[in-house]
Amino acid sequence: MVVQPEYAIQVSNLTKKYGDLVAVDHINLAVNQREIFGFLGPNGAGKTTTIRMLTGISTPAEGTAKIMGYDIQHQTIEAKEQMGIVPDISNVYNELSAWDNLIFTGKLYDMPSDYRESRAEELLKLFGLYERRGEKVQGFSRGMKRRICIAMALMNRASIIFLDEPTSGLDVQSVLIIRDLIRKLNQEGLTIFLTTHNIEEASQMCDRVAIINQGKIAIIDTPEKLKRTVESLQSVEVAFETTPENAALMLGGLPEVGEVVKEGDKFRLFTSNPSTVLAAVWGYAQSNNLKIFTMNTVGPSLEDVFVKLTGIRPATESGGSVKKGQGTGQGRGKGAGQGRGSQ
Amino acid sequence: MSGIHRSRIGREARVAWAIALKDMLTYYTRPPSIMFGVLFPFSLFLSFSIGRNVPIAQQIPVLIAQTLFFASSSIGPVVIPSERANQTFDRFLTSPVSLLAILVGKTIAGVIFGLGISVIPILTGVIFFGSQISNIGALITCMVLSTIGFSAMGIMFASMPGQSPGNVMMPLNFVRIPLLFISGVYTPVSELPSWGQVGSMLSPLTHTIELARYAMGGETFFGPLVNILILTIYTALFLFMGIRFHVMNQKKE
Repeated sequence: MVVQPEYAIQVSNLTKKYGDLVAVDHINLAVNQREIFGFLGPNGAGKTTTIRMLTGISTPAEGTAKIMGYDIQHQTIEAKEQMGIVPDISNVYNELSAWDNLIFTGKLYDMPSDYRESRAEELLKLFGLYERRGEKVQGFSRGMKRRICIAMALMNRASIIFLDEPTSGLDVQSVLIIRDLIRKLNQEGLTIFLTTHNIEEASQMCDRVAIINQGKIAIIDTPEKLKRTVESLQSVEVAFETTPENAALMLGGLPEVGEVVKEGDKFRLFTSNPSTVLAAVWGYAQSNNLKIFTMNTVGPSLEDVFVKLTGIRPATESGGSVKKGQGTGQGRGKGAGQGRGSQ
Repeated sequence: MSGIHRSRIGREARVAWAIALKDMLTYYTRPPSIMFGVLFPFSLFLSFSIGRNVPIAQQIPVLIAQTLFFASSSIGPVVIPSERANQTFDRFLTSPVSLLAILVGKTIAGVIFGLGISVIPILTGVIFFGSQISNIGALITCMVLSTIGFSAMGIMFASMPGQSPGNVMMPLNFVRIPLLFISGVYTPVSELPSWGQVGSMLSPLTHTIELARYAMGGETFFGPLVNILILTIYTALFLFMGIRFHVMNQKKE
């Protein structure tokens, strides 16, 4: 009888150093089986370095990583048999056809020829590429190459799949196909370790997320619980039919308002007390004869958590920002996964 | 794959062969392979042999040795940096197979390329210039041992960090070209000063040329047994160093 390990991935004190730079600093995490685990962090935080250590490409300076109970450093072959990897760039063989890419992958896993052929056929049909199986991959679009890359990672019927920025730089249709596929694979029992810059994607897809910053894990929890940990990042969003020039400054001066961010034609007023702010904004509009176009309360997004923990604002839309007692500065990124309640 | 029991060694051999086949299919016709593996040895041979008062038939063993040397040692430095650049080398590192099997696969690709190209000077010598193969066993030993050794040498150089074939070819040529001058290509080993003869003995190319000469009825300075022994030692050394360099790379990655 095969004993199932407690965790799909178990990382203990994993560390990577490049000279004096500690790229990954004694991180600990455990990924449950059949979980979609998001690994978020700004550029250079240590996401890809972590994946490279977990998949055996890079050797850690300290610590251990177990894949389905197998130590990646000491039971390397057994650990690698359990995983499929989709790196941040589609590392397909451009000179080979789609079919040959999958067949070669099957050979790397020493799959018998009839089995690898039936698996390749099954995957190419699943990814909608069977009709083009004989064409060289170099003529494929970026989205098609990505699908081939994911199909290659699935050839050996792995228990865990590592996806490094799987939807980065793809068109909307490809993104939707891949997200749908990830969910489907997870429903079939696959554990997914997903790194992404797309916080909305992580919020929508992941059972739990870890945020890594400067090589250290800042927090690990479910997206909703993470949002709850930053209740101070609740906000009121308001748009006026005609906006006075000094609106940001005036709104920033209202009671209980921490920061005002201009997002397009709207203002977002961060507060820990939305009801007081709603009343104050209503009063401000009345006293200045302003007609309120929309007004909502907005819960903290995963992006807000990310910004708070890393101090780094994702490269999204920016606008003017006013904190109490300050002039305008760079704006907060547009919220994602927001819980709204119209007033 | 749990229901499929296959022996570890057999599995490693099958994967190594799959890697070799894939490399043959994708890299043999690449311009750097053709330039450094085919044009380079033939051009060097012509530039040094034209105008010399030595019968062509006597120079054929030198051409065979140069071809084996350059062709076999050129595939690894073309394949591995290219695969590093587009991250396909990571596919091998993440697959359930040992580093040795990966490098043996790469070495086999160089061996077959070297063997294939070296057939050209052998047939040219025999058909057009009256060269005679007096010891076919020695010739086969020379070709097989040399291609394995030189292919492993190319893999060893390719194991150094670098993401373009040029980054590897340059240091490799810094070694390959000077070896021509101490290996009895242009001056027989017997005519070299004693320090030159020591240097010549340490050069793997010397032993390829000597074995090729021996196989075609010529004289040798060190003798075929020494030639075989030294080529075997170099083959093991180059493979070992190639693996060491890759392990060092993984620690730096």
